[in-house]
Amino acid sequence: MASLDDLAPGTTATVEELRCEEPDAVRLMELGFIPGVAVSCQRAVPLGDLAVYQVEGSQIALRRETAARILLSETPERGGDERA
Amino acid sequence: MPSAAPAPSGVSGPKGSGRRVVAICGAPNVGKSTLFNRLTGLHQKVANYPGITVEKRIGSLDLPAGQQVDLVDLPGIVGLHPRSEDERISMNVLRGASGALPKPSAAILLLDSTNLRAQLRLVPEILGFGIPTLVVLNMADDLAARGGSIDTEAVARQVGAPVALVSARQGTGMDKIARFLEGTLDPPPPVRLPVLNNIPAERLWAGGVARDAGYRPPEPSLWGRRLDSVFLHPVAGPLIFLVVVIAVFQSIFTLAAPLMDAVDAAVAGSGGWLGAVLPDSILKGLLLDGIWAGVGSVVIFLPQILILFLFIGVLEDSGYLARAAAIADRSMRAVGLEGRSFIPLLSAYACAVPAIMAARTIESQRDRLATIFIAPLTTCSARLPVYALLIAAFVPERPLVGPFLGTRAALLLGLYAAGFVAACGTAWVLKSSVLRSRPAPFMLQLPPYRWPTLRSLSLRLYDRSRIFLRRAGTVIMATTIVLWFLASVPYSNGEPPEIGDSVAGSLGRAIEPLVEPLGLNWKIGIGLITSLAAREVIVGTLGTIYGMEGDEDSPALQEALRSELTFGGAVALLLFFAFAMQCMSTVAIVRRETGGWKWPIAQFAYMLALAYLAGFVAYRMLG
Repeated sequence: MASLDDLAPGTTATVEELRCEEPDAVRLMELGFIPGVAVSCQRAVPLGDLAVYQVEGSQIALRRETAARILLSETPERGGDERA
Repeated sequence: MPSAAPAPSGVSGPKGSGRRVVAICGAPNVGKSTLFNRLTGLHQKVANYPGITVEKRIGSLDLPAGQQVDLVDLPGIVGLHPRSEDERISMNVLRGASGALPKPSAAILLLDSTNLRAQLRLVPEILGFGIPTLVVLNMADDLAARGGSIDTEAVARQVGAPVALVSARQGTGMDKIARFLEGTLDPPPPVRLPVLNNIPAERLWAGGVARDAGYRPPEPSLWGRRLDSVFLHPVAGPLIFLVVVIAVFQSIFTLAAPLMDAVDAAVAGSGGWLGAVLPDSILKGLLLDGIWAGVGSVVIFLPQILILFLFIGVLEDSGYLARAAAIADRSMRAVGLEGRSFIPLLSAYACAVPAIMAARTIESQRDRLATIFIAPLTTCSARLPVYALLIAAFVPERPLVGPFLGTRAALLLGLYAAGFVAACGTAWVLKSSVLRSRPAPFMLQLPPYRWPTLRSLSLRLYDRSRIFLRRAGTVIMATTIVLWFLASVPYSNGEPPEIGDSVAGSLGRAIEPLVEPLGLNWKIGIGLITSLAAREVIVGTLGTIYGMEGDEDSPALQEALRSELTFGGAVALLLFFAFAMQCMSTVAIVRRETGGWKWPIAQFAYMLALAYLAGFVAYRMLG
């Protein structure tokens, strides 16, 4: 299954599952990474391994190892729909 | 003590004498402080040090009907599960468990109307505290400009709470907030809200509310992305980052210089005038040589501090600082910290106190402690007067790299570098030993870019000036008066003593054996004692001891120092000031922020040992 760190800049996919410890998963969901919601990768941050993701109206920078815990429901593609 | 201001008399909860506490809460970067400033203006009773947005701020507001309301501006929250200290503060206030404040009798929940589907989730979470709440949808101007719309009455019906659409920046829609605060806004009938602690279900509910209220989200902001493509560009991004950091430092020196000269001239001028009009007496000596010279030598640094805070204010309000923290993440990680520590450490170059408070945004408790521990090692502005005096006295100005870098500037840069290296090394040691922690996931919200407003920037500077001048008027003035007194007793034959025979002189001689290995004598020893209150006090103290105007530009004082100290002793003294924790305000804030004496004592002892060792080695090598 693809995870968020596989997402190339400019592409969008849908969050499927968060594979991390409960408190971290809660915080990721509070920031918008909720199963069923569309997320896109905007760009890599220079120096280091952060990337900026857009989820709903927020921009959030995550480290690669954190993004790898967010599994996506389909192979990355342009567009993507939103539940709700 | 908790950080809040002592609750003003009369605040006794909803049944009190008509004074009520109202909390402003919401996600980060939705304009809570802007709304707070808009509503209270200069009537803010800011508690202790407001930091940036990590402090509870309380302001009073007089309503037309004559009631008074105390507004509390709470740090941003993203849900009911706090991870950082500032989020915990917000939760405690809303639960009525903060200790310093009663449970608010009402709340204003501020949401970003341009990102409503995600943010409506906070409505049931905040309503769950059982406080009458007004839901305010902010950024109405931005929503309309980018083609979005929302039916606020439809939202109100579905959430069972009154809803207002406002622009806190432009001041539109404020009448509804005023009516809510007066208690004349009737809430819609309550409704069944989603069960809490199930974020996907809350999000689903929020999506339904937005859909049924005809929410049209705005078009994405294109210029925000364009700015990111510059500021986070693989090559341009780090270069801009470097230029910004250098510009901040450069401005502390170049931009501030003329302003500092003006303050200096004003202090000297008024002191001269006072000296001419006052009759000769003991009190005149205290007023002029003690208070005026002592406090004046500190007030001179106000322009520098304000310029630094202006820069940090612009960087923070515009949204750039979060990008800078993202870029800094890797370098911070090299010493065991994370990108978020960059922001407190940058402001520590102005003053360690707000920096230590700003560390509240760091989620990992161990990273936060390490950041607090190393913050006083960065070169704060209080060290500048000491550096300036000693460098001017002992280092002749010669060009080193053409016209760009002279010997004096190079030594000053070296002292900044020494503090920086010590801070990094200490962080690394702490993070690989007592504060070792499993790397926590790093999640940093990047706020949208916005123009900083003149209103918010000037309020920040007003706050800083008030705090700084209060300190000059209390800690520094008290130390100066006590020293002046100790240097003027005991009288013999009706005459004040020579400095060496005074009580201050005896104290200095008592610690002389301790400072002698650093090449320092008892007079400098007295200065080291008074500088425990605040570093910059030593300049005024040396002035008092040598019986001349205490001012780092004073040639007479420089001359006196040259006859007392060797070059090695001067370097030892400089290094001592670079590393020692001579600042009562910092000790007090660390005790408050860490909740005990363990950390401030460890920090004080560590920094004193480091300072002594560095001074000892320097004196041994340079003589």
